[in-house]
Amino acid sequence: MAREVISSGNDLAAKAAVDAGCMFFGGYPITPSSEVMHTISDLLPKVGGASIQMEDEIAGVCAAIGASMSGVRSMTATSGPGISLKAENLGLAQMAEVPLVVVNVMRGGPSTGLPTRVSQGDVAQAKNPSHGDYKSITVCAGNLEECYTETVRAFNLADRFMQPVIVLLDETIGHMHGKAVLPDVEEVKAGIKLRKTFDGPPEEYKPYGVAQDEPAVLNPMFKGYRYHFTGLHHDAMGFPTEEIETCRKLIDRLFQKVDAHRDELESNEEFMLDDADILLIGYGSASLAIKEAIVRLRDEGIKAGLFRPITLWPSPEERMYELGQKFDKVLSVELNQGQYLEEIQRAMGRKDIQKLTKTNGRPFSPQDIIDKVKEVF
Amino acid sequence: MRFTGVGGQGVLLAGEIFAAAKIKMGGYGVKTATYTSQVRGGPTVVDIQLDDKEIWYPYAIDGQIDFMLSVADKSYQLFKNGVAEGGIIVIDPNLVYPTEEDRKKWKIVEIPIITIAKEEVGNVITQSVVALAIANTFMNAIPEDVLIETMLSKVPKKVHEANLKAYELGKKYALEAMEKMGIEPRKND
Repeated sequence: MAREVISSGNDLAAKAAVDAGCMFFGGYPITPSSEVMHTISDLLPKVGGASIQMEDEIAGVCAAIGASMSGVRSMTATSGPGISLKAENLGLAQMAEVPLVVVNVMRGGPSTGLPTRVSQGDVAQAKNPSHGDYKSITVCAGNLEECYTETVRAFNLADRFMQPVIVLLDETIGHMHGKAVLPDVEEVKAGIKLRKTFDGPPEEYKPYGVAQDEPAVLNPMFKGYRYHFTGLHHDAMGFPTEEIETCRKLIDRLFQKVDAHRDELESNEEFMLDDADILLIGYGSASLAIKEAIVRLRDEGIKAGLFRPITLWPSPEERMYELGQKFDKVLSVELNQGQYLEEIQRAMGRKDIQKLTKTNGRPFSPQDIIDKVKEVF
Repeated sequence: MRFTGVGGQGVLLAGEIFAAAKIKMGGYGVKTATYTSQVRGGPTVVDIQLDDKEIWYPYAIDGQIDFMLSVADKSYQLFKNGVAEGGIIVIDPNLVYPTEEDRKKWKIVEIPIITIAKEEVGNVITQSVVALAIANTFMNAIPEDVLIETMLSKVPKKVHEANLKAYELGKKYALEAMEKMGIEPRKND
């Protein structure tokens, strides 16, 4: 069963979090993500949860990490310089394996950039927000429905992989207001898959002593199972160590736990691609202009289609490789200088991919895309 | 449709009401707002797309806009060129100053929206409902009963009466202006 709502992308992300069982939000309001915090601050107390406006962005993500360590589903949201400020502690959550959902509503950057305007400039940053070596998981909503469904999915992925999951929205998607058809709350609740816990004898509990392709098993703190929590390289009990093999295996496992289970992560949309001669690749709000452009191009007899990755990181590299073999004419469309284009080139093993980029804070119009297709193909 | 003003004038609400009313009727409606980092006084534009089919692209497309309403000159100047030639632009003549050339290019309709809200309704905030009524009278986008019902669901009960009055006044002024300029309500399929 589905239900129809009239809402904005930011509000839908907040509603999705609460429906997915989120009980804590820590954050600091910043345009264009502020409505996520406004809405969740209204909703959480009604379900017994809590939302705290912290003193800054850094404290916001730290509070959310702390709440998650106590065992509850937890979220933060931000934009622009906020994601830079949160970056170090996203590294802590990667290293200590703390599940967390981070909604980043992208605006123009770098620095304070264009606060009220649209951009997809944080795509490369989402791959490696913090220093160090780890494997990011990032999903990107391409319409109002997905602001809801991808936030729900992000909570399940965070608990499955025990790490932060970034939900990328952008100013257009976050602020656009219209109809969305959503799954019923009961369906969302039935789909909740909480993180694993260890219920054996406390003396046998080794949170980080897991198989090499599996995430840590972190029981809620203060519930009778003791372990150490650190951003340093650590052993099976979480205590700092510099032992050579343990250090190697830890970072290797942070990669393997994601790489070995890519099939659980991949999600794409293929739009009018079956009979297409021209492949357009785009994601997020850019795909809205691309779809409109494709319909108009087809009215003129030009058969274009769209491949839209929803999980951006890890990228759908195998599918992109296949598409790169099938399509001669490929155009990448993104609201940055070509951040995902580099990934497309890598996955396809090709350098001859055309690009359409924009970094002036304005959205693409369908005509921009139509003109580019006619110019290059 | 495009509504333009400056931050703080409350042009956003009219867009939400249009979108919600269209959706209530089983169609699709999307509202987007573009504004600047200036909290009050920065140019603001609200685009409203209503369709019976699914809408992907949420912005009105420059050059294809057939109705714009503007209550601030700097926004009018910034966004007027998005309106198709021969399109209708409703302006508040106390706040927006079109050139003679503009008047040849578009059908410029003068309705003192802010004054109506402030003096005749007695509450300046109702300007967005005056604007809503004007836009719908010209564009014939939504059956009036559905639009009014949606509007009332979006404003607090204590101002229902003021907003109903604002709607009636907006409609009255629009009909008068249309008669004067020989503009027929738009015929929709």
